Amino acid sequence: MNSTRFRIAAWVMAHRGWAALFFALVTLGFAAGIPGVTIKTIFSDLLPKDDPFVQVFKDHPNFGNPLTVTVMIKRTDGQDIYNPETLGKVWQFTRDIDLTPGINHDSLISIATEKARYAEATPDGVDMRPLMEDSVPDTDEEIADFRRRVEQSPNVRTFYVSGDETATLVTAAFLENLLEYDVVFEQVQQLAEQYRDEHHELYVVGQPILTGWVYKLQEQTYTIFGITLLALVVALALYMRNVAGTLTPIVCSATAAIWGFGLVGWITSPIEPLLMIVPLLLIARSFSHCVQFTERFYEIYAQIKDKRKAAEITMGVMMAPSILGVITDALGIVFIAVAPIPAMERFALFCGFWAFCIIPTGVFLISILLSYLPAPRNIEAIVAEKDDAGFHALQKRALERIASRTYGPKARLTTAVFTIIAIAAIALSFQIKIGNPVEGSNLLWEDSDFNTAIRAVNDHFPGVNTLEIVLEARERDINNRIARTPGVVEVSMAIQAMVEADETMPPRATLSFTDYMMEGNRLFSGGNPKWLPLDPTDSAVRAAGNAVVFGTNPVNFSHITDFEFQNSTISLWYKDNKQETVDAALASARRAVEAVGTDHEAFTVRLASGTIALQQAMNVVVSRYHWLILGLLNFAIFVVATYAYRSVVAAVIVLIPVNLSNFLLTATMHVMGIGLDINSVMVAVLGVGVGIDYGIYLLSRICEEFTSQGHDWGKAITAALTTTGKAIMFTATIMLIGILPWYFLSDLKFMADMGLLLVAIMLINMVLALMVLPLLVWLIKPKFAAREDLMVGESVDLTQFMDSDPPSAMRAVPAAG
Amino acid sequence: MHIRKYDFNYGRRQLMKNVAMGAGAGVLMPLSKLFAAEQSIAKAYPDELMSIEMYTKGKIKPGDFITAQNVDVVKELLDPIVYDQIKTMNRKIKIRATETDLTKMFPYEYYDATMRNLKNGLAGKFNADGNVVMPDGSNWAGGMPFPDPKTGDEVQANMAMSWGRGDYNQYAINDTVFNPDGSKGYSYDLVWAELQVQGRCDGKVFRDMKDLVRLQTVLFTATQDVAGSSFLSTWYYDQRKFPDLYGYLPQFRRVRQFPTNQRFEPLIPGVTWFLSDAWAAGDPMRTWGEYKILERKPMLGAFNSNWGGADSDNWVHNVHGGPTGETFFDVEYELAPEVVVLESKPVGYPRSPVGRRIAYCDVRNSLFCGCIRFDRQDKPWVNFEAGFGQYKAGDKEVKGPDGKNTAWSWTYVMSFDSQTRRMSRIAHQKECTGGYQSIFKQGEDEKMYSRFFTQQALQRLGQV
Repeated sequence: MNSTRFRIAAWVMAHRGWAALFFALVTLGFAAGIPGVTIKTIFSDLLPKDDPFVQVFKDHPNFGNPLTVTVMIKRTDGQDIYNPETLGKVWQFTRDIDLTPGINHDSLISIATEKARYAEATPDGVDMRPLMEDSVPDTDEEIADFRRRVEQSPNVRTFYVSGDETATLVTAAFLENLLEYDVVFEQVQQLAEQYRDEHHELYVVGQPILTGWVYKLQEQTYTIFGITLLALVVALALYMRNVAGTLTPIVCSATAAIWGFGLVGWITSPIEPLLMIVPLLLIARSFSHCVQFTERFYEIYAQIKDKRKAAEITMGVMMAPSILGVITDALGIVFIAVAPIPAMERFALFCGFWAFCIIPTGVFLISILLSYLPAPRNIEAIVAEKDDAGFHALQKRALERIASRTYGPKARLTTAVFTIIAIAAIALSFQIKIGNPVEGSNLLWEDSDFNTAIRAVNDHFPGVNTLEIVLEARERDINNRIARTPGVVEVSMAIQAMVEADETMPPRATLSFTDYMMEGNRLFSGGNPKWLPLDPTDSAVRAAGNAVVFGTNPVNFSHITDFEFQNSTISLWYKDNKQETVDAALASARRAVEAVGTDHEAFTVRLASGTIALQQAMNVVVSRYHWLILGLLNFAIFVVATYAYRSVVAAVIVLIPVNLSNFLLTATMHVMGIGLDINSVMVAVLGVGVGIDYGIYLLSRICEEFTSQGHDWGKAITAALTTTGKAIMFTATIMLIGILPWYFLSDLKFMADMGLLLVAIMLINMVLALMVLPLLVWLIKPKFAAREDLMVGESVDLTQFMDSDPPSAMRAVPAAG
Repeated sequence: MHIRKYDFNYGRRQLMKNVAMGAGAGVLMPLSKLFAAEQSIAKAYPDELMSIEMYTKGKIKPGDFITAQNVDVVKELLDPIVYDQIKTMNRKIKIRATETDLTKMFPYEYYDATMRNLKNGLAGKFNADGNVVMPDGSNWAGGMPFPDPKTGDEVQANMAMSWGRGDYNQYAINDTVFNPDGSKGYSYDLVWAELQVQGRCDGKVFRDMKDLVRLQTVLFTATQDVAGSSFLSTWYYDQRKFPDLYGYLPQFRRVRQFPTNQRFEPLIPGVTWFLSDAWAAGDPMRTWGEYKILERKPMLGAFNSNWGGADSDNWVHNVHGGPTGETFFDVEYELAPEVVVLESKPVGYPRSPVGRRIAYCDVRNSLFCGCIRFDRQDKPWVNFEAGFGQYKAGDKEVKGPDGKNTAWSWTYVMSFDSQTRRMSRIAHQKECTGGYQSIFKQGEDEKMYSRFFTQQALQRLGQV
């Protein structure tokens, strides 16, 4: 055995003490970086950074109220809000929410604050007064007067009291530098609970609350992570039934994990907890690799009776298939970074590096450990246990039956069935819609408290589904407030008029700072609606702007213009964020913007921000990168497989099942009414990366068996399936243990969806690897199968390493980890 | 050889004792006696309360700068928001020697009226409604009503009865607002005109308006978008009543009446301060309550601070610090031997976002060097730091209303929102846009009344 692999193995084992020290030092070095690890969700980093809509959003993050908590107080017994009890609740809730840490006191608005005003014309001008005086209206007269005041305040009537008068809003913005999401979430939720009774329901929405939910559920994520990890360790212990066999995968996986976490700690790159399922997948993969490696070690040790020599041989034998297997896993992760989503890029770096770390730990460290650790006393039992009784026998019979369907006369039917399935799957998968809209947040379940609250608010008010058309000042000049100039007024009015007249999808409501100025103009001109329109002169618009802003804080308008009245937005509210709404809204906005032009002397019209635009950005990134990432991954694997088998045909054979798996998954999603989103792209890519292992190991085994079974395809396939096929099943089981609990345990839809889709693709991959790959081999009957020098082969003639025993070339037990 | 009669902490201990006993100012002897005798205040305090050098045991002396490096030495002597500015925003403050001459701490006319009352044995008192009156129950006739305030109410009344301590005050002002990143968000020029109707230094009642205490107008002259806009406040003598507040927008030729109880919003967009904050007494005294002296202590503040006239012809101080090096004026602080830490609460405003206010008042002249508005979570929100002093620097001097004595007034204000990190930096200038000048004059009240303090006046001003 003079191949490079074995020479490396011999060298490492000859210096195993130094190698162990090297691993210990490197691990300590990475471990020192771990205190620098931060795990946090940066929501804006979940958006594709190169999308023009996302760029508008990042340039103008304030538009659309990202730091605002909105609470809807709803009277539930059929009465309206105009009664002392409900108004009293609104008053006191408004007072109490002001005690939430980090609140911007200037921004708190409800019908009980002085900021909600009505205006009356007086002989000299205008008297602007709070809707509510210094106490809650109590008598019938006071309540009637209060209702009259609300009706005289068009803004409040639209945005703070629902059309059916059963609900009202309290809005409070928070200061970014003081905002602690978990504190705000806890306090506001607690407050809402305190104010609920048999006649009142409170709904709490807003980005800080969504973040609070995600943070809260992330604590649950850590619990699930712990449970799943424990399950993996228990499964491992049950399978191995000895200390060394259990400890080795744990130490190797933990080392790779320390390296992965250490790297991101050193480079201070935050880890996105919403994607924590993938590290678990890596742990499962690492366990699986290690188990296969350890089993092989025991088999060799049973023959050689020398731990160090057995470790050296195992390393030499397993090096190529292990490295190939890990590389395909890692490529699946690394290619995710092609999508320009910062969280995914960071994640690909973190998990991709971690995956690559499985190579040194799963090939070299494991060998060193096994050479030092005491050999289990039940070594003979472990090696002999295989294939002969109980579950193993059952499994073997099932695999034999599967194998029999993939060659000979029965293969024709199998071919026909799979051809039909493939055609149907491909046809259906091309019909899948892009986008998976949920009213509210796609991170949470449809029936979650948050999304329920969003629906309730959307039902009563213009809602949260906005499209923001931003009018961006070319220069910031404190002597010229662009948002209060005739040019902006003209463009705002034109765009609003056009979209409101849209025949396909008129918005529910529109708002721009011009609306406030027109109202100011009317009031200061005596109250007659004929004074709503603004004269297109600097002085008239300036005056109207002053009428609005004097005596108020600019933060009261931060949803619609910046603090300095330079940039502003036109908000268009739509009924939902379904794809047809998104498409129609954007088309309508584009037509309007095209009509007014984007470039103006002092400002630029930019499309777009808001829920609708960001939803579209996520959809666009999926359609832009879905095929590209899969294509790149296919190409990379094609190169790797061609190199490993020295055959293009081999690469095609292993790639067909994994791609067919993807089509099958996509077709199933389409049938189930699930759209293609960024989750499914990740799953598809990870699925190809992990699934390709199955193909590589099975194909290698078939090749080996082809030679040893006298070039009989049927026997070769059967032998391969009943040995390597079993290992594939073991690997799939380990993966299921690692991933499936996420679907059942996670209240984060994002995570549960990932779990379910990953489980689905892994299972589909397993079935296709076991059936379609042998079928392809049978149909193609590739020439490379007869070669005996495949680098991925695991056979070794142990007699070369033995001094006495009778020669017995031992066939490798396959690895599929 | 200087013999120390008292141990180092004697002064501070005695101040604490004075609070507990409800005593007036002074440690070694009552400050009021020195006030009445027109003597140096040095006799009322031990050395370590009169000298920053002794107080810090030589670590800081007059002429030194307080910076991030040495601020911890004097942390307990500073407004906590100012401490934070020095520590984190690169602010620095020059220290000057403690002033001992009381005559330099007031406008001459106000000091004179106060001394006149003292000599005549006239001191203010509160009537049943809580308003300050003469011993015979008539409205207060001018000067400082409580030269030796012993209660929180008395300290507040000294600040509330006459803001600018002159019968007519006209200030040309620039208020520049700095964003958290140090960029300029707003820069307003305005004229602040203040006509004292009662409680005047001349002892008269203007136009026999016995139900009013003052008239006050703010006229904006820049930027262009607000030029000509103005506000007129009519203040009642009865401190339980809200002032009437009218706004005038010239383009509409209309007066807008603001809700009288709407005191917790900025008058104009962008600025950090509310009407409530100005003078640490921006609302009628009896619409607030629970005045309480929390502490008497020595403190560093812009008492008798440097005048901007030394730095520029328009009286604007040089600047430094903050993200762009422009956030803070170059001002000087001195050690005040005794400052009353006065707490008050907005009891008359059921919807106030403010929980309480702490004002730091120098007992030598009953004036604040700063006040902090706390939110209802009792977190510091906005401070309103003010410098007061004589308008004299080297050979440059501005004469006061009598044309003989040196003018005295506020010199600057810096109002910092420690939550949003915005700064309103306000300069008392010689002149602002529109040609309006700061005025220290007597005898032109009628002229100023018709120029600034009627609704017709507002309309005329808007045409300019």
